[in-house]
Amino acid sequence: MSSEQGQTAALKQLRAARRRRFVERLDLMEILYRVYLAAIFGGIALVVIAGWVEEAPASAGAVADMSAHGPAVLGLALALAALVGLRSGARGGPLAIEAAEVQYVLLAPIDRGAALRPAAWRQLRVSVLTGAVLGAVIGNFVFRRLPGSPVEWIACLALFGALLPLCTLGAALLASGGRLRPATATAIGAGLIAWSLADLLLGAVTAPATMAGELGTLPLQDGGGHLALAAVGLAIALALTWLGLRGVGRIALEAARRRAALTAELRFSASVQDLRTVVLLRRQLASERPRRRPWIRLGAAASSRHPVWRRGWQSFLRWPLGRLARVLALAVGAGAATAAAWSGVTLLFVLPGALLMVAALDLVEPLAQEADHPTRRELLPVAVDALFRRHLAPSAVAMATVLLIGVAAALALGAPAATAAVGAVMLAPTALVLACCAGLSATNDPYRYVLTPQLGYAQSAAPVVIAIVAAGGPLLAARESARHGASAVGAAFSIEVAMLLIGIAMAWWLGRRMADESAVAT
Amino acid sequence: MIAGVDVGAAPALLGAHGLGRTYDGFIALDAFSLELGEGELVALVGPNGAGKTTFLTLAAGLLEPSSGSIAIAGVPAGSIPARRALSYLPDTPVFYEDLSLGEHLGYVAALHGVEDPGARAGELIERLGLGAWEDSLPSEFSHGMRQKASIAIALVRPFAVLLADEPFDGLDPPSRDVLFELLAEARAAGAAVVVSTHRPDVIAAASRCVGIRDGRLAYDGPPEPRALAEFFEP
Repeated sequence: MSSEQGQTAALKQLRAARRRRFVERLDLMEILYRVYLAAIFGGIALVVIAGWVEEAPASAGAVADMSAHGPAVLGLALALAALVGLRSGARGGPLAIEAAEVQYVLLAPIDRGAALRPAAWRQLRVSVLTGAVLGAVIGNFVFRRLPGSPVEWIACLALFGALLPLCTLGAALLASGGRLRPATATAIGAGLIAWSLADLLLGAVTAPATMAGELGTLPLQDGGGHLALAAVGLAIALALTWLGLRGVGRIALEAARRRAALTAELRFSASVQDLRTVVLLRRQLASERPRRRPWIRLGAAASSRHPVWRRGWQSFLRWPLGRLARVLALAVGAGAATAAAWSGVTLLFVLPGALLMVAALDLVEPLAQEADHPTRRELLPVAVDALFRRHLAPSAVAMATVLLIGVAAALALGAPAATAAVGAVMLAPTALVLACCAGLSATNDPYRYVLTPQLGYAQSAAPVVIAIVAAGGPLLAARESARHGASAVGAAFSIEVAMLLIGIAMAWWLGRRMADESAVAT
Repeated sequence: MIAGVDVGAAPALLGAHGLGRTYDGFIALDAFSLELGEGELVALVGPNGAGKTTFLTLAAGLLEPSSGSIAIAGVPAGSIPARRALSYLPDTPVFYEDLSLGEHLGYVAALHGVEDPGARAGELIERLGLGAWEDSLPSEFSHGMRQKASIAIALVRPFAVLLADEPFDGLDPPSRDVLFELLAEARAAGAAVVVSTHRPDVIAAASRCVGIRDGRLAYDGPPEPRALAEFFEP
């Protein structure tokens, strides 16, 4: 055996031994319990979703629309996935290599590609399989409303579902191995999105992402041309992923080490549902830092009456471009989901709240930082509960701005004019509830229920569920009222009164909880 | 061959020429040039943040230079032959949490083509006082144990250049003596050893001293206490 063969064999043997040891240490009963819980909750979720999905066939107009624009819309999703991957790859992703692996394996005289490819393959396999399963589940719902056989829809959407993570990971591997700079990666990703957007607006199929998007609507398309385009798109995605895998050994060790340290912390924080730390580490992973120069410099304070309000806006005005773009994209996504839900896909009413909650986690940054530094907070001549409630004000106002963008996006994407009036009624209460939900999430103590993890899960999930209900509930009520000839605005208004009360109660509870924690600490 | 590593006819075991490295505009190392030959024990000194660790990680191939070049035994740092020739002992020990010390030693030796590391591994374990810990996992180690285990892992494989970032930190006096002996043996075998340090006893034992200040080479010469005093002033 040559020296190189011996080194590769050592690598394989040790990895096999580590896998064996990992499997030996697994608690079979714990795994079975988790599978049991996942099966129960997954089954319930599927039944609920199946109940929400309308089974009435879509109108001819809707089918024609989907047939004409579906590939470009799906292509846009693929381009977005590629952008995410490119940005991750430019910062050392998608692999999260152990620090010891960098120190001992990547600094050893062996081919780094051979050392890293198995991990990349594993990540690809798991992601592609998960995407395919989710795609197949969606296909199982879609065939009930659209023309085409169940087998066709399930197969096509499973393939498309697999293609999404493939695009993300393939792009990440290419960017990482090609040592793309973040700015270059972002520019390439933005170019891909612009190309797909142009296809959508012009009704053309020129972008590779649009071609691959054909895969998701094949049962609606006539003729072999669409199949050929889909095959070309798929082939391009596979070829680029293959190239990415080939170049995986060219990863920058500096980025790999940084990522190794951060992902280890990120995994731990996620495992204890420490959402605040997850947010902070994710920002570090994306090298997302406040701007040295604010977008707009606030003038000198006219008085010292509203320092917390001013501090909040100073924070927002230093947001990096990436965070602004993310929140804008989340607002547009919420608007798009609202438009689609209003047109009949009831299930999508879940999305606006979920997306806006993610945006709200960025918007409560000043409040979260106050919670991060209890010692500093204790030195302020302000009651703790009042301090946190005051922090909610700039976050809620900024949230209202995000909601306005979402409403504008919904209208631009074909939601009826009534959506504008419903949005106006929802604006203040929903903004307050979302800011409170994010504030509660960011200030949750992940270790409070460490001995009763079920309570910990409930503590983490409650703000998300409330956010989903706060955004989706009034919209659903408004749509149903409109369908039955009643006033959509009236239906939304009656719910928003309750939402406003819930928001006020949450703001009071947040202040009270932080004051109690301070009292215990001191 | 130096210390069991084929280094060919390299002009220097370590050669840095106009080496520079910036982080987001901050200059960590600037136009740094240095050549090291066989059997040198170099003390790398400088105040905190001077650029010592940046230089060592550049030489190890963990960082890439913003300007200039660095070669190990005549080949670019980070290349396969350079990795074969260089051993890097980081300032913070790094371990696989599911491997015992003995398994770490066997694994790292095998990755460097050492077919039977038993004798060398056993010797290092014994001399560093790690005998009772050979089958222990890193989570069971104290701070000093982790440092000693990290030293054993760095030394279990052949090398022509050893870069050690503050290796004496956390060691008790007997372990410090053992490390001095191990470094002297590496040097006697022809290896070039670079030790980043703030310790006067390490500087006194060095054959050469390199001072860095604000990322620039500020001193290169014998370990003269008076010449080096400025590096330890606040």
